[in-house]
Amino acid sequence: MNAPTPVVLLVEDEAQIRRFVRSALEGDGCRVAEAETVRQGLIEAGTRKPDLVILDLGLPDGDGVQFVEGLRAWSAIPVIILSARSTEHDKIDVLDAGADDYLTKPFSVGELLARVRALLRRQARAAEGESPVLRFGAVEVDLSRRVVLRQGAPVRLTPIEYRLLAVLLANSGKVMTHRHLLREVWGPTFVESTHYLRIYVSRLRQKLENDPAQPQHFLTETGVGYRFVA
Amino acid sequence: MRTEGYSEGLTASGSSVKHYVFAILACGLTTLVATPLREQLELANTVMLFLLTVALIAARLGKGPAILASFLSVLLFDVFFVPPRLSLAVSDGKYLVTFAVMLAVALIIGQLTTGLRRQAEEATRREQQTRALYGLAQELAGALSLEQVVQATRHFFRYHLGTEAVLLFPDEGGALVAWPADAAHVLIVEPHVARTVYDSGEPAAFGGLGSGNDQPWYLPLRGSTRTRGVLAVAAGSTRGATGRGDRRLLDTVSALVATAVERLHFVEVANASQMQMVSERLRSSILSALAHDIRTPLTALYGTADSLALTRPPLPEPIRDAVESVRDQAFRLSGLVSNLLDMARLQAGRVTLRKEWQPLEEVVGASIKLLGPALADHPVTVSLPADLPLLEFDAVLMERVFCNLLENAAKYSPPGSAIGISARSIGDLVEVSVLDRGKGFPDDKPERVFELFERGTAESTVPGVGLGLAICRAIIDAHGGRIRAANQPGGGGCVTFSLSRGNPPNIPDEGPSVETDRS
Repeated sequence: MNAPTPVVLLVEDEAQIRRFVRSALEGDGCRVAEAETVRQGLIEAGTRKPDLVILDLGLPDGDGVQFVEGLRAWSAIPVIILSARSTEHDKIDVLDAGADDYLTKPFSVGELLARVRALLRRQARAAEGESPVLRFGAVEVDLSRRVVLRQGAPVRLTPIEYRLLAVLLANSGKVMTHRHLLREVWGPTFVESTHYLRIYVSRLRQKLENDPAQPQHFLTETGVGYRFVA
Repeated sequence: MRTEGYSEGLTASGSSVKHYVFAILACGLTTLVATPLREQLELANTVMLFLLTVALIAARLGKGPAILASFLSVLLFDVFFVPPRLSLAVSDGKYLVTFAVMLAVALIIGQLTTGLRRQAEEATRREQQTRALYGLAQELAGALSLEQVVQATRHFFRYHLGTEAVLLFPDEGGALVAWPADAAHVLIVEPHVARTVYDSGEPAAFGGLGSGNDQPWYLPLRGSTRTRGVLAVAAGSTRGATGRGDRRLLDTVSALVATAVERLHFVEVANASQMQMVSERLRSSILSALAHDIRTPLTALYGTADSLALTRPPLPEPIRDAVESVRDQAFRLSGLVSNLLDMARLQAGRVTLRKEWQPLEEVVGASIKLLGPALADHPVTVSLPADLPLLEFDAVLMERVFCNLLENAAKYSPPGSAIGISARSIGDLVEVSVLDRGKGFPDDKPERVFELFERGTAESTVPGVGLGLAICRAIIDAHGGRIRAANQPGGGGCVTFSLSRGNPPNIPDEGPSVETDRS
């Protein structure tokens, strides 16, 4: 990491929630900046230059999409969304706008810290430049040679399967919405054909997961999309 | 005597006796006026005076009096002016020609004049009718209720056609109901005739208005999509409406009324759906606000306890236990609130499903992952056939079903026992089962466990309020499936639900490309 202590911007209007999130983050070695509104949050993001943003979806002066769009205009720093379960649509909208991950309220502090660490790590790795060889479970993917091995044996993937795998690996730790993945892998005319995506994810699981019915790497975010974790 | 019989015979054709009397008087008057001028005037001029009289009578009094006047004029002319006077005898044979021509001209003039008069009258009547129709159309266009339509229609028939009308509309049960409510005083409607007309969409008619037949006319009110009702018009009085024109007029009126009724119907439909939309939106915004207001303090409670439990250095053991207990209870409470809100949403009316074609395996895996620690004591074995087709369902709701079923199975079976998920295709259905090794469901009421706030064992030590299975049933019902509970022969409960296979979409094959093969 470039900075000795990462700075996290917390945009949340509930003081009680801010308090425990702040104490958990500080306990984990982060510095925390706070904001209560979208406007204030964007100003803080501009002045503090945080390494990561935690954003509540139900802010008093606007919605998360506004914030993320405003932020994405000049910054690629990771954004984690905090949302209530009843707002599936808002969640998808804000992820499509460029947010990286979400947690449903109530969330466990351990889970939040794990997500924060994962995204900060990814950020740091991206700064260093990625290695062309990635490993997860018993699988090894060499992106430079386009080779996929499982327990040392080559795995045959179709071009679409490989493209999907590459997109997921490139966004490791990030929640990818159905629309986003369909656009990246199949092209803009297929964004409504979610069954294509589901079939291909299921095929990747068959080929690369130990138990395809209970995947460890290609995770389903129900109603939203997928997340790859190494 | 003869005259009386004559006028009686003509009365039937529509003119009154008075007109004939006037015609006779007019001819007499002409004779009286012309007699003193007999010396000054040529006979031809006298003939002209009589012809003028006939023309005036025709114009004023109609056809019958004109014919009478024609004959009477010739008679009077012969008796009082042609020599020898005061006798029917004629001195000169040439006068016979004069009589013949005079009679012919008088009859023709009478005929032409009355024809013109009738046409003028007809035009006036039509104009009045058109104006009345226009008024009716205007009134119907502005009508805001069925009552106003009925009122406008009755008013039209009563004041412009001098007859009574009753409208019949189907009620909620489909039976035809007469409007106004006191229709029986106005007109006796035969229900079965009205029914036939309504069902067939064809009018039932019995001659013309005023044909002397007491049976009313029945006309269907044909809207653009279906018949909206029946218009019944009393025969009887005939002011203004006669003959073939009746039918056209009635058709026009019934079309106007049908349009108005249809318009009201669509306005009503639009209003109802508007109302429903507004109330649905209100309900969902109340639920969202409620969810937010309940979840926010729960999130703070849970998160605060959780972060306390993670404090470094660790808290002393008794305090940490207490903190963990607070955290776990907050989490349970939050699950309970979620279920309550889900149920409220599902019961609030129409559930909007976001149905998509997807493999069942995915939602099963997601549910197991989501429950995580709650399933720590129970290994879950998933056995889905490899050839299971894609199914169409709402993934978020189906995840709730699996979560609730798995949670239930874990709660009611001994630690360490396995939970099974299996599926099979049976005809057009796919049956999914969740099996456990617990005590199973009470034998006497396996279906009742799906009822709201119903629990297998009333005073159980296992926490819960009996929402989970009720939510499952609501969701499966919304998908058009069926859910049932049973006990396995070897012990343990089994909940099975079915979903329709439908027509899964095709996935185009990519072909045998092996781009990433090492070769």
